[in-house]
Amino acid sequence: MFRASLKSLFAHKLRLMMTAMSIVLGVAFVAGSFVFTDTIDARFENLFSDVFAGVDATVRPDVDDFGAADASMDQGLLQQVLDAESVEVAAGSVGGFAQIIDGEGEPIGGQGPPTLGFSWVDVPSLNSLRITEENGRAPADDDEIAIDVATATANELSVGDVVKVQTEQGLDSYTIVGLANFGTEDNLAGATLTAFTLDEAQRVFGLEGRLTAIDVVAADGVDNTDLVASLVEIVPSGLEVVTGEQQTQEQLDGITEGLGFLSTALLAFAGVAVFVGAFVIQNTFRITVAQRTRELALFRAVGASSRQVTLSVLFEALAIGLIASAVGVLAGIGVAGLIKSGLDAVGVGLPDGPLTLELRTVVVSLIVGVVVTTIAAILPALKASRIAPVAALSEPVARTGRKSLRNRAILGSVLSGSGIAAMAIGLLVQTGSSLLLVSGGAVGVFLGMSTLAPLVAIPFSRAISAPFRGITGKLARDNTARQPRRTASTASALMVGVALVAFVSIFAATIKSSVGDTLEEAFPADLAFASTNFTVGVSPVAVGLLKEVDEVEVVSPIRTGIVSIDGNEVNVLGVEPATVGAVYDAKPSVDVSGIGDGMMVQVNVLDTTGRSVGDMVDVEYLDGTTIITTIVGTFEDPTFGNYMISDDVFIKHVGDDIAIAFADLGEGVDLEVGREAVATALAEFPTIDINTKSDQITEAEEGVDQLVALFSGLLGLALVIAVLGIANTLALSIVERTREIGLLRAIGMIRRQVRQMIRREAIITALFGALLGIVIGTGIGWGVTASLADQGLGSFSLPVIQLGIWLIVAALAGILAAVGPARKASRLDVLKAISHE
Amino acid sequence: MTLTDSKVTSGIAAHMRDGVKIYGEGETQVRALDGVSIDFEQGRFTAIMGPSGSGKSTLLHTLAGLDTLDSGQTFIGDVDLTTLKDRPLTEIRRSKIGFVFQSFNLIPTLTAEENILLPLSIAGEAPDSGWFDTVVSTVGLADRLHHRPSELSGGQQQRVAAARALVTKPDIVFADEPSGNLDSKSGAQLLEFMRQAVREFDQTIVMVTHDPVSASYADRVVFLEDGKVVGQMDDPTTESVIDYMKKLGA
Repeated sequence: MFRASLKSLFAHKLRLMMTAMSIVLGVAFVAGSFVFTDTIDARFENLFSDVFAGVDATVRPDVDDFGAADASMDQGLLQQVLDAESVEVAAGSVGGFAQIIDGEGEPIGGQGPPTLGFSWVDVPSLNSLRITEENGRAPADDDEIAIDVATATANELSVGDVVKVQTEQGLDSYTIVGLANFGTEDNLAGATLTAFTLDEAQRVFGLEGRLTAIDVVAADGVDNTDLVASLVEIVPSGLEVVTGEQQTQEQLDGITEGLGFLSTALLAFAGVAVFVGAFVIQNTFRITVAQRTRELALFRAVGASSRQVTLSVLFEALAIGLIASAVGVLAGIGVAGLIKSGLDAVGVGLPDGPLTLELRTVVVSLIVGVVVTTIAAILPALKASRIAPVAALSEPVARTGRKSLRNRAILGSVLSGSGIAAMAIGLLVQTGSSLLLVSGGAVGVFLGMSTLAPLVAIPFSRAISAPFRGITGKLARDNTARQPRRTASTASALMVGVALVAFVSIFAATIKSSVGDTLEEAFPADLAFASTNFTVGVSPVAVGLLKEVDEVEVVSPIRTGIVSIDGNEVNVLGVEPATVGAVYDAKPSVDVSGIGDGMMVQVNVLDTTGRSVGDMVDVEYLDGTTIITTIVGTFEDPTFGNYMISDDVFIKHVGDDIAIAFADLGEGVDLEVGREAVATALAEFPTIDINTKSDQITEAEEGVDQLVALFSGLLGLALVIAVLGIANTLALSIVERTREIGLLRAIGMIRRQVRQMIRREAIITALFGALLGIVIGTGIGWGVTASLADQGLGSFSLPVIQLGIWLIVAALAGILAAVGPARKASRLDVLKAISHE
Repeated sequence: MTLTDSKVTSGIAAHMRDGVKIYGEGETQVRALDGVSIDFEQGRFTAIMGPSGSGKSTLLHTLAGLDTLDSGQTFIGDVDLTTLKDRPLTEIRRSKIGFVFQSFNLIPTLTAEENILLPLSIAGEAPDSGWFDTVVSTVGLADRLHHRPSELSGGQQQRVAAARALVTKPDIVFADEPSGNLDSKSGAQLLEFMRQAVREFDQTIVMVTHDPVSASYADRVVFLEDGKVVGQMDDPTTESVIDYMKKLGA
């Protein structure tokens, strides 16, 4: 029996390949996500092990998870460390923000990986940077710097060039005297590195006489544990001592966390692809079982049990799943390579080296592929087991039967209903498993809708095919209506992809219109200033310069950070009480100028905490102080955070970093004139972006559009699988209808008409799936945005044109899917088709 | 009735000259048609008979433009089918030829009426409603027009096919064992209708059969053996056909 099903497998190579393809793509994505993540882990582990190889221990300020960047220690401590018996050698260093500006005045790097500045360490065993002889030397004077090889290469900089470097203190010119490698790499994950002399570094970071780290090499015979223990004794409180290994691990954890989002996202898309693939597999098996009715009945007639028939179909699925998953793992390595090159292309350089294929990747991918394929084949296999032996003798009839519509309606409604309920609970009730509930609910909705889809397949295909005139239109319509289950199940694969794409489009459109509305309402200021560098905000020095500009009436900086309230980390904003009202309308209940040492809380947040205005709250700051603070009022706009304090308190306990500053121009000052004036004043700060309100809206919209493009691209894979599914169904139904098509050809249908007929069938099926998808996607989009209305998604927007484009894309996808089958049908050997048996 | 217009000129609806069709190669080579020359006069009902493998189906298929000759020529009217590409050949089949096959003649999703009108729908032409009514009433299907094939008996299905073959007023109708799957009563009904079409509408019909009773409905019987025409007989009866076949077999 197994041999028979294997034979049947290889007898239909095309069918095998098409079915397998849908599994290959899904599994490739799963494997690719794993390979990519493992590769990053392995590469960075190597890199950081190299970097910290010489460091036995490091003394540094004890910063907790909040990560205050400007903590430092007295430089005098270095001598104490050097004097310790357990220490062979030690070196102190400082680090901070530094950005190189190119000849055109444009900042180099910073939009993604950080731009790091630090002091050059003269002790080679403690310096992770290496400068080879042909690449110059270390900075020795205060106007010299060394930069990393990758940045130099990418920007055509070389030893001897003079560049400007932006720091918090302003802009200064330096001569590049050396190009350094980081460990064995040209570069650290795309970061731009600038090394100064220690004195200069202390100056530009505002850390005169201070250090941010002391790296230590243990004396002979002292192990790291003893070294750390002896150092802990001499360092004052507020500092900590960690080993090199610990630092390697910390860095790795940071990287893993940073890229964790990416690998989760990749796995989510892989999940979608596998889910869509399952539809295709189920459909293919259902059709092939139907087509093999006589063959399977013959097995039964010669003595195979119904159990054996079931198993033979499942075995076939297992075999396909196994082969396809194996191919998928190989393809996954390619996918990982593509992602890596993609990241390289956008400037996030990852350390070079081979891709890492863990046994776990192979095992998980194979299990996913085989299990999904086999589960998808269960229903068709059970159907096969119910074929009676007598069916071997009767002429196969093209079935038009409609099975128990009532049961189907009940099952579909229950599935969709519980899916919707799960999503609603996930969205509206705060539970720890919201994401699981929402995605599980979505799966329920998709399964439910695909169960219900056959009930509406006939009216839908009628409506869709209304513009199709002539006999090919009629035949195409009749063929899609002939087996509503098959049409619906084929369309369902496309439905899932289109629903997700439609959801993303709607979500994005709503974000865009909400952002526009919020900006219009809440930010009356003429100009906004933000840093183009992700690492640091707007320098307070720059805000000071802005206040001097004649054309500017008022400038107000807004700082954002994190504090802890009731044990939760929350976003807090620090505002300048006297000026904030002129530039930022958060709709406060009382004038912000009277905030004093108190705090204002976003009105909905205050409601959920059960507190009210006048209550006292314990606020824990980064620096370890806890201040009992009075709630003096509420505000509405949650853009920057839900807790507002004065900048006096903020600077003292959180930090000086400015997230964004706004300026309002004097009465009668032309917007362009004002912009020119502030641009001139900020010439020393090329990393600050000056935006008008319309710039801000455009910028926000561009950001959203990029995300939509990325998501749509990734969901495109699900569409490709769905298209394969349509092609597969068509190809199989053409085999079923060989005699019918032969007859049409015999009595005078030309090839072009045959192709048109098949193409129209594909378009009807594709549009059916796309319409269902858009309906579902719109429903989910509406639900999700409505439940997030509090968080600034109040303006639901239906991107009609974009959804229309997706419909057209679906129709085109249908045409594409029909190319092969239509060609095959039109080239059919008429004589063979009409000859009996 | 202007059915005869194009045929008057030649009087021959279809003919084949030195038709050769070879299947297979080397040892297994079969000469399905081995130099067949034959005329089919307009307005006559011809039956082609012969044992299995005699080449009678191949003759029908090549005459109808469903299969190609390896050498020789075959004509519908004065059009040489052997020179035509797929598309003009398909158009000839649609406009000048009618078909009745042994089984699977109808598209299951279409009603009887739609099946009858199918060649016209494919051509995008409007039916001549007077002619349609005549054909439908002749085959006795007026009350079955809105049924689908699965709701019709085998005999009714074959009569729908025959009506379809006539609805375009073709130059010639080819029928391949049209009553082969029918009980004798339904078969007789169908054959009677075909003979009526020849008598009343001056239709030309060529039918392949292995059944002497079916052959007796024809005006002429052509006997084929090993790809060659070995004899023919005008105004056959069942008995004369059986006798002739016995002679051939001997």
